[in-house]
Order: sequence, then structure tokens, then C-alpha cells
Amino acid sequence: MSERRRNLFVLLLVLGLIAASVVVAVARDTKLGLDLQGGVSLVYQAKPTKQQPTITQDALDRAVDIIRERVDSLGVAEPSISRSGKDQVEVDLPAVKDAQRAANQVGSTAQMYFYDWEKTLLDESCKTNPDQVDGGTQQIPGFYSAVKRAAKCPPFDAKTTTTSSEPRFYGFDKAHKPVNGGLPETDQSKLWQDQPGGERPAGAEAIRVPNGILIVRADRPTNPDGTPGPKPDAWWVLHDLPALSGKDITNPEQNFDQTTNEPIVTMDFTSKGKREFQQVTRDLANRGRDNALPSQRPVDASQHFAIVLDNELVSVPYINFAENPDGIDGQSGAQISGSFTTQSAQDLAKFLKIGALPIRLELISRSQVSASLGKQALDQGLKAGVVGFVIVAAFLLLFYRVLGAIAVGALAVYALYFYALVKLIPIVLTLPGIAGLILGLGVAADANIVIFERVKEEVRRGRSTGAAIAEGYKKGISTIVDANVVTFLVAFILFILATAGVKGFALTLGLGTVVSLLTAVLATQAVLLTLRGTTLLRSKAALGTGATSDRERWHFDFMGASRWFFSLSGMILLIGAFAIAGKGLKFGIDFEAGTRIKASLNQPVTVDQVRSVVEKQGFTNVEVQTLKDPELGKNVVQISTGSLKPPQVNRVETALRRSFGLQQSSSDSIGPTFGKTIANSALKAILASLAVISMYIALRFEWKFAVPVLIALMHDILITGGVYALLGREVTASTVAALLTILGFSLYDTIIVFDRIRENMPRMPNAAFSQVVNRSMAEVLTRSLATSFCTLLPVIALLLFGGDTLKDFAFALVVGIASGAYSSIFIASPVLTHWKEREPIYRARHARILAEHGAIPAYAVASAGGPVDIAPSKRRRRTTADPAEGVSQEEFEEMVSQLGVETAPVVAPPRAQGQRPPGGRRARAAGGTPGSAEAGIGDGEGDGPKPRKPRNKSHGRPR
Amino acid sequence: MAALVWVMTGLALWHFTIFLPDRWWSGIVGAFLGAVIGAFVFGLVISGFSVPGRSDTHLITALEAVPGVLLGLAVVWLVGVRQERLGDGARDGLAPRR
Repeated sequence: MSERRRNLFVLLLVLGLIAASVVVAVARDTKLGLDLQGGVSLVYQAKPTKQQPTITQDALDRAVDIIRERVDSLGVAEPSISRSGKDQVEVDLPAVKDAQRAANQVGSTAQMYFYDWEKTLLDESCKTNPDQVDGGTQQIPGFYSAVKRAAKCPPFDAKTTTTSSEPRFYGFDKAHKPVNGGLPETDQSKLWQDQPGGERPAGAEAIRVPNGILIVRADRPTNPDGTPGPKPDAWWVLHDLPALSGKDITNPEQNFDQTTNEPIVTMDFTSKGKREFQQVTRDLANRGRDNALPSQRPVDASQHFAIVLDNELVSVPYINFAENPDGIDGQSGAQISGSFTTQSAQDLAKFLKIGALPIRLELISRSQVSASLGKQALDQGLKAGVVGFVIVAAFLLLFYRVLGAIAVGALAVYALYFYALVKLIPIVLTLPGIAGLILGLGVAADANIVIFERVKEEVRRGRSTGAAIAEGYKKGISTIVDANVVTFLVAFILFILATAGVKGFALTLGLGTVVSLLTAVLATQAVLLTLRGTTLLRSKAALGTGATSDRERWHFDFMGASRWFFSLSGMILLIGAFAIAGKGLKFGIDFEAGTRIKASLNQPVTVDQVRSVVEKQGFTNVEVQTLKDPELGKNVVQISTGSLKPPQVNRVETALRRSFGLQQSSSDSIGPTFGKTIANSALKAILASLAVISMYIALRFEWKFAVPVLIALMHDILITGGVYALLGREVTASTVAALLTILGFSLYDTIIVFDRIRENMPRMPNAAFSQVVNRSMAEVLTRSLATSFCTLLPVIALLLFGGDTLKDFAFALVVGIASGAYSSIFIASPVLTHWKEREPIYRARHARILAEHGAIPAYAVASAGGPVDIAPSKRRRRTTADPAEGVSQEEFEEMVSQLGVETAPVVAPPRAQGQRPPGGRRARAAGGTPGSAEAGIGDGEGDGPKPRKPRNKSHGRPR
Repeated sequence: MAALVWVMTGLALWHFTIFLPDRWWSGIVGAFLGAVIGAFVFGLVISGFSVPGRSDTHLITALEAVPGVLLGLAVVWLVGVRQERLGDGARDGLAPRR
């Protein structure tokens, strides 16, 4: 494919994707996380029970299933239920206001009971009819009707389950739709907590159902494919008189009938269960036989044994009195057979397991965000995003002018693509996710900067703008790929290992990195190559390149000065170490067990007043801060205490409401287990990131390049930790995410420098390693500083305009990115230099140059045998058919100089055939009389001068 | 927390080894390992082979690492010097006959 066609194809692809993105952005909704829309987030840890002594993955999956069932019955829109780690379940319930009630409803242990169906079922007049199949009654359509019927029944004080041990209230609005998710409350006032103002709406009704009367949802129909159908709005009312409970059965599983080979469900019983099962099935069989008409089939006359899980009918198998006249002996277990598919039998077995092998769910973290706080966080995040985009755009335009304008266009396209992807996948957008998106802007801009600096470099070397653009993309792409792969790997590791909040950040950062490759590299390349012949790109000034070549090159002895920068780093780290030792790191409640309540009050209060009110509730170690948060309210306080249980949080909130008037509040409670989980996952993520980064660097460069990278990363992370200790800032889960991001960004800079060192090593065959590094640094320092600065810009926007969470995150990033830029130049490169210079080849070069000059010049010069660092003379620029294939004037000069054609003629000392030059490599390195080194030619390895063939000046190749 | 402080002190002091001649075993990276491992091991030894927690970490904890850093660096230096001597000897033996 020709270049023009390729560019056209890429541009059409970009335009097509823009159109598709616009359609997606308009047509789809954005899914907001809890922190942006308000709601309750609960993290449960599974604990073993007597029936389920170990937490297996299977048991955890069942817990997730039952939680999903319960959440569905709560009627929460778009809940999120996910397993986290080996034994945790995270439940996000958007728009739920009462965290305590949600926690109680979602995390209670599964309750399974078995009923003698006909004996307990109540008809319209609240009577049981055990002699008739299904009690001679029908399912009650509509929940309201079922509750009304149950309300008419007298209390029943037999052996009831905990569900109906007390009278309960069910709430309905004026259209008879259930409120409170259809769940009953023993306290009538609690029914209306989710209603506006917490008041009972006009026309709403609370219906009292007496104790011992149970309302059970009818069993779900099975779809033709065996999957369970929708939950029916059909109900039964019965006496809460269970014959067995879930504790009485063991080993429920799906099997196949040995004779018919049809799917069945089998179960065994405990010794108590065996007796009770035999008894209840005997009663069922006797009644069935007694009531059967002579011509009636047993299947039509048999009575039923109902299995109820969490007040929902799971299955109602009949007891065939003809086959089991004395009931079923539970000694060898029991089996449920019928018109099962394998899938439906598996589902029933799963439900039996949920009831028979329950695990206890312990609430280890609970956070609640009010809707207005969520909206505020969203506004702040968006504001930070817009400001970040604007300042990055301004920077690009200022420094790269026309190139910058194209990059800004690419950034806008990036933002559009990303927004569409967020909606399309869909990604639940959280605050950390917005941070990832904003950082992605920096990554996308960095990719452009790497290429644009390369283009400018080529222009300064005397290339035409067209050739420079082609060459810039060709040479810059490997750096970008390396840097983006590393960022992507870090994001991937974060996503796999980190906790939920950080996952959102990792997902958007990783996705942003991939999208930026398309927009910042492919799209801008196609645009620039299409425009390169136009007047727009003909002027060097339009590219932000001065007319004078080389004027921006740095001539600083980086390696010589490194010892002073090392000392500076050493001092900073020492201060940091003393700060951590003396002041310690202040860990937030993410790591320490505790509860934090943020409340906006009706009247102005002092810290002492609030503390006094909270302490009167019996809580000690209360820390109170007043916060300025106009969007939340005028009088905002933050109360931090030890870990409080949900009812205790409610007590504090009630006390605040009574004393000062509470407008709104949000709370976070973290148990000690959850803090440990976060810390462990962070440690794992850091170690895994370091391992993967090392492997990648070792593979792409060489293993010796990986060690300085690791030292520099350690330097950056520890300096960030030291700054946190010194300033007494709180270390939160966001800080950990930021630290991990620092790994990626610090590496971005280091890769830019190392990439150039790798490129220059073969181009400077006679130079000392420090000279190679100095030259590389001089060439890429602007680029490295520009990328760091460009990444810092959106981060600073986050720091200035983001909410509390984003500010925490941004602060760590600012310190880390600044430290990363510094360490890549002044730590990683000098360490590499010192280490590489121990290699025999560089020792030899070092000794040779030292012998020649008495010192190692900071930069290799022609007289020392290195590549020339002279300014290119202003000669007529040569052109070739393809500018990208051409050689610039300076490169040509370098080649000529390296090959020694235009240097002083060299007279090789006479040497017999096969005789090696005297002294050998070591002797010459130690100051011998090497002919080639003095003359500045040769490879620096002491092979001596060889007769050279005449060269073609145009190509530098032998004629 | 004490382990972090020891390692950080080791890393901080390692930076100043750049002023010394490079006779370390494995060069500056060897010095890095000597300083960091020395700091950690010495801190561990004087704390009775346990890592003090946050409440037991004080300013003195940072100072505790210093002898460890110096010892670690000394070991790396001595090994480096010894290897250098051995290496010189081997090279002498391989000199061309005159």
C-alpha cells in the first residue's frame, strides 16, 4: 500500500470512528459509580459456619448468588456484586440511602426451611385444608393482595422461624406498589426512610402482618432451555411451621437417576433430619392416600413438601404415597425427580446448598455517599478534566505550534473515543476512573511530544520538514511503544491485583494508553504526512523550531555533575527516612480500621461541641475536623473514630441531627481485615509491577539496564513516602494507586533516556560510556522534561480542582512524577554509566581517552575518536527521492568523520603478515602508543589502522 | 515500618558512595546491595530478629541502620578489592612472552 493510500485509509478510519463515537456518546448512558451518584458500598468477608467449615470458591459463588437474589428483590437499579480476593464479596447499591438496612438485608445468612405444604397453607379465610391438594387454594396474584390476606389472619404462635417471629409492617404507595423493596420492618417508621423527607407519602399504606404468618413468593417457572424464568408476582400465605431447616440436610447435589438417566437432585440428612424427614413424609403419604379418590392417579392426589429459601418457594415436590406408603426413610437420603433439565436440577441443587451449607457474611467495610456529594465529586472531576485538557492543549500549541494544533485535535479525538468506549463497554465511571482518564490525556500528549521533539531534532539537523516528520515517526515509535507497553503493564497489574476503587483507575489508564496509540501516533502521522508538502508545514518556525540549528542542545556534563545530584537525593532520602522514623506515616482509614462520618449541619458548631455530642454516645478517641465544602453545606464536619458498626453510625448521626440539625451525611467504615487486604494487594501489585517492568526492560534493552531502573523506581517511591511523612499527609488507597502509577510514569522518562543511549551506543564506537550518556541526555533532555511537564499539567489540574479523593491522588503523583523525571536523568543514567564503565570494553576506551587527553571530556569529539558534536555547516541540503530514506548533513559529517576519510592521513606502522599489534588491548588502554586512537579512527578496540578502500562520498560505502 | 526506615537509610547513604573510588564488588550496584541489605540485616539483628512496628519506630531506628550500611559497604568493598587483586594476578599470568 502506498503511503498516500495508507494515510487516506487511516484518516477515513479515524473519521469513521469519530462518527461512531458520536452516535454511541449520544445514544448510550454513562454508568456512574457510587462515589459519583451516591449510594451504599458494602464489602463482606465470608466466614465459615458449622455446616460449611471452609470457605471454598463454590461456597463463595453461592453467597454471591444469594446476595444477587436479595439485591434484586430490593429493587436497586444497576447494582454491582462482585467477588474480591479469595473470600470477599463487594456489593455496590446505587441510590440506596440506609446503609444499615441494606447491610442487614443483603448480608444475612441464608435461611432455608421445609414445610408440610398442605398442612401450613392458608386459604382466603386463613384456614388450612390439609386434606386437599395445595390446601384447596390458589396462588395470590399481586404482592399487595397477598399481604392484605396475610394481615387478616390471626397470629400463629407455633414453632416459627425468625422471619415471622414478630409482627411486621409492609409498606405500599397509593398505587399499591411496595416500598422499601417489599421488605417488612418491625418498626413502621423505617418503612418510609427512603421516601422524600423520610416521611410517609400521601396515600401510602402500612399493613401489619401478625407473627407466625408467612408470605412466600411462588416458585419461578423454568424456561424451555432449563434456565429459571422471571420471578412471578404470585404469592402464597402460610403458617410459619417448618418441618425441617437447612441445617438438617447434607450433601445436596445434582445427579442422574440410575434407571431413567434423567437429571435429579439428591440430598442426605443429619440424624435429626432423618427422623423429622421420615415423620413429615409419612404424614404427607398418609394424607395423600386417605384423600385419594379410587380412580385418581397418585401424582394427582399426593401431597407436597415445600422448600423455601429466603421466603421464596424453591421447589414443591410431591410425596408419592403409592411408592412410599410409610413416607421416605431418610437413612439413604432422598431425591427429587421430575421434569428437570440438567440446568434446572443444578439450579435447585445450588439453592439447597445455599440453605444447607450457608456461610456467614461479615461486613468489613461499609461506605455511604450521599447523592449530592456524588454530584459534587462528579462536577469536580469533570472540571479537573476540562482544565487539564485546556492547559495541555495550551502547552502543545505554545511549544509545537502547527504540530501542536494537530496534537490538540488528536487529543480531542482521544477524549471523544474514550468517552464513547466508557459508554459502549460500559465502564462504571468512578472518581479514580476520571483520574485515569485525565492522566490518559497526559499519556496521549507525551506520545506526541516524543515524536515532535524527534521531528524538531531532525529539522535542526538540516532535514526538510517532510523528511523530518517521516524520520521523527520512524525513530520515535519504538520509544513510544516501550513506554506505553510499560504503562499498560502497570495498569494491567493494578487491575488484576488491586482493590475495586483502584481497579477503575487501572482500567481507564490502560484503555487510555491503547487508545492514545491510535490517536496520538497513527492519526497524527497520517495528518502530518498528508500535510507535509503544504505551506503549512514548510516553515521551521511553524513547527516550533528555531532557525538556528542546535541552539537548544544542552551542553551540560550530566555524568560529571551526577555526584552532586546523588548527594542531593541522598539528603532528601535521609530526611525522608528520619521523617518516617520520627513522625511516621499517617495511614487513612483505608488501612487502619475506623469510621469516618462527614456531615453538614444546620447550625455553626465548634469542634469541641461536636466531639462532646459524639462522646456522649459512648465513643472515645473521636477526632473532629471542620471542613470548608460550600457545595455540601455551610457547616461541614468530619468525625473520625474507631471502627463503628452500622447501628453505632446511626446513633452518631441521630445525635448530630438532634443537637445541630443534620442536612446530609456520608460515612465510611473500614474493618481491620479490609485494611490488611488493601495493604497486601498494594504490596503484591508493587512487587509484580517491578518484576514485570524489570523483565520487559531486560528483554527490550539488556539486563544491566533493568537494575538502574529498579533503583530509580525505589528512589521515587521512597521519596514520595518521605514527603508524605514530612508533610503529615494521609496515606489512602488513592495514594497506593498513585504510587503504582508513578512506577509507570517514572519509567516513561527513563525509557526515553535509555532508548537514546541504546541508539547512540553503536553510533559512538570509540566513546567512553559517560560520553555516550552525556550525549544522549543532551539530545533527549528537552523531550524528557517536556513529557514530565505535560503529564504534570493535568495532574496539577486534578490537584487544584479535584475533590478530596482526587487531590490525595494528585499530590502523590505530583511528587512522584517530579521525582521520576529527576531520577531518570540523575539517578538511573549515572548508575547505568558507573556499572557499564566496569565492562572491559568501556574500561579500555576510558583508559585510552584518559591517556590521550589527561581527562575524559564530557562530550566525545572528533579528535577523541567519537562522533562529532559539531554544528553542521550550512551547505546545500541534499535531497533524495524519498526524504525519509535520506541522510542529513550532520549525519553525513558524522559518518565521514567516523570513517576517517577527511581526517589527517594516517600512516599505518609496518607490520608483518599475521603479526598482532604490539602491546595488545590492555597495553594500549594503559597508555601505549596506539596509532588509531591518536588519529581518532578505528573502533577503539585497538585493532590498529587498516588500509581503507576509497569511499563514495555520497553514501559512505566502498566503491 | 522499621524495615522501611532501615532500607531508606541504606538507600540514602548509598548515594554518597559515588564519592568513593569504584572498587566495589559489582560496582555501584554492588554497593547498593551492600548498603540496603546491610542496613536491613543489622537493624534486624539489633532488634532481636523482629521488625518493630509503627509504634516502636522512632528517630533512633533510622540511626540503627547506619552501622549496618557501613558494614555492608565494607564487605562489598573488601570483596571487590580482593577480586581486583585476583583479577590482576590472572592478567599478569597471561602477558605475552617477550
